[in-house]
Amino acid sequence: MRKQGAETRAARYAMLIDLDRCNGCGACMVACAVENNVPPPQPAATPRTGLNWLRVFRLNTGGRDAFIPVMCMQCEDETPCQSVCPQKAVELDPATGIVGQIPERCLGCRYCMAACPYQARVFNWRDPQWPAGMERALNPRVSVRQRGTVEKCNFCHGRWQAALEKAAHDGGSGPVHYTPACAEACPAQAIRFGDLNDPEFAAACRSGETFRLLESLGTGPKVFYRTSREEVREATRGFGEVKRG
Amino acid sequence: MVDRIDEAWIARGVRRAPFGRFLLWAAPWAALLALGAYAIFLCLRDGLFHTNMDNRYVFGLWIFLDLAVIALGAGAFFTGFLLYVLRKTELRAVINSAVVIGLVCYSGAVLILAVDVGQPLRAWFTFYHPNVHSMLTEVTFCITCYLTVLLIEYVPVLLKNRRLKMKPSMLVFEYNLHKVMVVFALIGTLLSFFHQGSLGGLFGVLRGRPFAFREGLLIWPSTFFLFVLSAMAVGPSFVAVTTWMAEKITRRRLVKDEVYQTLGRISGKLLLAYVFFKSLDTLLWINQTAPERGFPAHRFYEYGGAFGTWILFTEIALLGLVPALLLLKPEWRARRGLLIAGAALACLGVTLNRFVFTIQTLALPTLPFDRLLLYWPSWQEFAAFGFVLAYGMLVYSFSYRYLKLFPQERELAMNEAKR
Amino acid sequence: MFPWVYGFEWHPGYLVFLGVFFTVAVVVAGTVLAALWRSFTAVRKKHDGRIYWHTAFEELTPEERRCRHALTGELPGRCCDQEFDCRGCRMHARLLYSEEAGAQAAVAEPAEVCGISMPLDRYYHRGHTWVREGEDGMLLVGLDDLGRRLLGSDGAVELPPPGTELRVNEPAFRLRRNGVEARILSPVDGTVEGPAAGGEALVRVRPAAGFRTVHLLRGGEAAAWMWLELDRLQMALAASCGASTLADGGVVAGDLGRCLPKRDFDTACGLAFLDV
Repeated sequence: MRKQGAETRAARYAMLIDLDRCNGCGACMVACAVENNVPPPQPAATPRTGLNWLRVFRLNTGGRDAFIPVMCMQCEDETPCQSVCPQKAVELDPATGIVGQIPERCLGCRYCMAACPYQARVFNWRDPQWPAGMERALNPRVSVRQRGTVEKCNFCHGRWQAALEKAAHDGGSGPVHYTPACAEACPAQAIRFGDLNDPEFAAACRSGETFRLLESLGTGPKVFYRTSREEVREATRGFGEVKRG
Repeated sequence: MVDRIDEAWIARGVRRAPFGRFLLWAAPWAALLALGAYAIFLCLRDGLFHTNMDNRYVFGLWIFLDLAVIALGAGAFFTGFLLYVLRKTELRAVINSAVVIGLVCYSGAVLILAVDVGQPLRAWFTFYHPNVHSMLTEVTFCITCYLTVLLIEYVPVLLKNRRLKMKPSMLVFEYNLHKVMVVFALIGTLLSFFHQGSLGGLFGVLRGRPFAFREGLLIWPSTFFLFVLSAMAVGPSFVAVTTWMAEKITRRRLVKDEVYQTLGRISGKLLLAYVFFKSLDTLLWINQTAPERGFPAHRFYEYGGAFGTWILFTEIALLGLVPALLLLKPEWRARRGLLIAGAALACLGVTLNRFVFTIQTLALPTLPFDRLLLYWPSWQEFAAFGFVLAYGMLVYSFSYRYLKLFPQERELAMNEAKR
Repeated sequence: MFPWVYGFEWHPGYLVFLGVFFTVAVVVAGTVLAALWRSFTAVRKKHDGRIYWHTAFEELTPEERRCRHALTGELPGRCCDQEFDCRGCRMHARLLYSEEAGAQAAVAEPAEVCGISMPLDRYYHRGHTWVREGEDGMLLVGLDDLGRRLLGSDGAVELPPPGTELRVNEPAFRLRRNGVEARILSPVDGTVEGPAAGGEALVRVRPAAGFRTVHLLRGGEAAAWMWLELDRLQMALAASCGASTLADGGVVAGDLGRCLPKRDFDTACGLAFLDV
């Protein structure tokens, strides 16, 4: 829920990821897990059952490998997961453009996971467990989820909340600026976070070298990728998607 | 002494196995029930990691079988509609059995759903904060209401038990419920139309899954209508198959031949219509819908193996057109073996259709750098489904033994003796 | 779900959806409550007897529902559609067995069907009871010979207490023997005066005003009916034990309760007294 503070303009937060810089180190995945209280994998967890809000895939380009971090795209065109949730546990916040997941309302039916073409959502297949002592590292700004609920990247909504409170405290106005954990942690500074209402950022996201995943599905994803390498772009296209000129 | 107590509950004029033999029949089902109960307990206590479902295969054996049994259980509403609304009075011979099967199918499906969701105690959230844009909301509401209607329809069957009907209040209540059964038949038809359709709509609306996504009419994708039609087509077939199985297991004639003929004929006609519309829909999907979304349909079948084009051919031709023809041609339908074979193939066809929409949809990757992943259910998943199967067999067996599921049984036994 | 709950939307889709749901819920609940209420009042008004017979008649097979005029060959194949209450039947009114013929049959020799005695000085009900006029306008009601063979020497018939209202085709008596129970239908409309003093009759009944015996069988048609009954019994018992029990020329055993296994005796009682 968005707090009403000093005047803050509605934002359309988005990400621009430079694939030419990403070296697949995975620091973003670790930072995301730490920031968002994602529990460590238990012994029986597999890559298919583990909790990862952000996954870095290796792309087979036929030449030099590339890596692509994939997280929730915060789709804004008829958000697929929002329309299918039977109890409105998914809400696209018009103030931020972030697709929020309400863990307390989630029934765990996983219909949203079936609806998401980006495989961005993960499910708590068991009770989260933190090794003794590790609970002291939990982030108090982010709720801990129960077993049987779905979770996903929310552009570090807790950090946005903190920034909002600070802006309200400082009496400022205008858009709220903050940086998600993955963008902050990336050693290659491959992840850039901004507001599509900012003309400069929007222009960067719509440059000739940028693309989005599965554009033909028309979901309006707000994670943009940039690369100068055609073979990388080719490796990310869906089946028979038309080449962009 | 147990035999004497047991006999007092069995209807007059029909023969039933001695109680000991009945217990022998029930024992393995009870054992399966116990195993399934243990598996369900594990899942509820520890979480769904006991299954082999994962973040990619979010729906597995349970959802697939849920959809299949709900389609097969459509015989309950459709037989009720045919009998009480269209006045096909020969179906009075199987309506009780169809109601029990429907009850077992739906209550079993709801039970499995309660285990399948991560937080079953939050099930009421869907009612309290409904999202009317979601097909799953529609499914939840309709199935809950319909299960209630089925329970109400089961009450008169129960109250016709020999001992229970000796109480005047029970006899009179059964009579008054029976008088208003047409109301429940109509409501059941309305609810079933919507939930069978919404189960198809669940997958048809998935814009993110081009394999499943379909064009449609207003807010309903074509899968909505195809699922309703296929459920109506297969409902009478499943009633025919289960009746035949009951006759084989009990070694008794339970219904007259005209009942099989009516069920087969109606099923055949609807199945043929379904095959026609499904073929049209598939052609539209191959040539327009999937390519428009950037996914040429042939790419979905490139993986071969379990998910090759054979599946499409089998579903529509082998398990759609062939049973339709078997059931429609009177000379073939007149032969019991062919009729049952046709009905069974139709049931298999609809089951395969539900498999394609659940498992195959999820198996196929959408991200190009992702791959086809396979899934095999864990023993807990099989056992939990075994629980539903055992529960169904036990409820049906008890109903057959102590209630009048087949009103024509007595008459047929007397006619047999005449010969 | 309700207007006061967070997230409620006032737009047509939402309202239509919830409207349909609440309508269905109300209709279902209302129908069940209406059925419950009707049942409560029916039991209070003692309509359960009529309802019992209605449901019992529905359980009979087409063969068992043969019209009395089909038994006599006047209308072959016809099934009764009046629940064996010929008083309201137009077909019966047209084909009414004449009183003169009935009076002649009353003085004829007693008939016998496979050993079952069928005195023709009385009317027969299809539930195996008979009715005869007694002294001072009372009616005597008793079990016919087949009924008595089912009752045997160690069975008991629970009689309705004096003052009980009897209605045609509604349960009046209860037969109990060896753990088997069967409801026996009343052949008359009237009020029970008391048990009959000795003889074959069970009770004395003051007939209701305007009571007629039009629905009861007499003479030749009663004998034809008994043949049908024995045929029914034989088929049902053969279905039960897998072989014919009444060969040509045989007679029915004197005490059916003693010579039939309990299950078959139960079946026989149900068939005879139309309590299936």
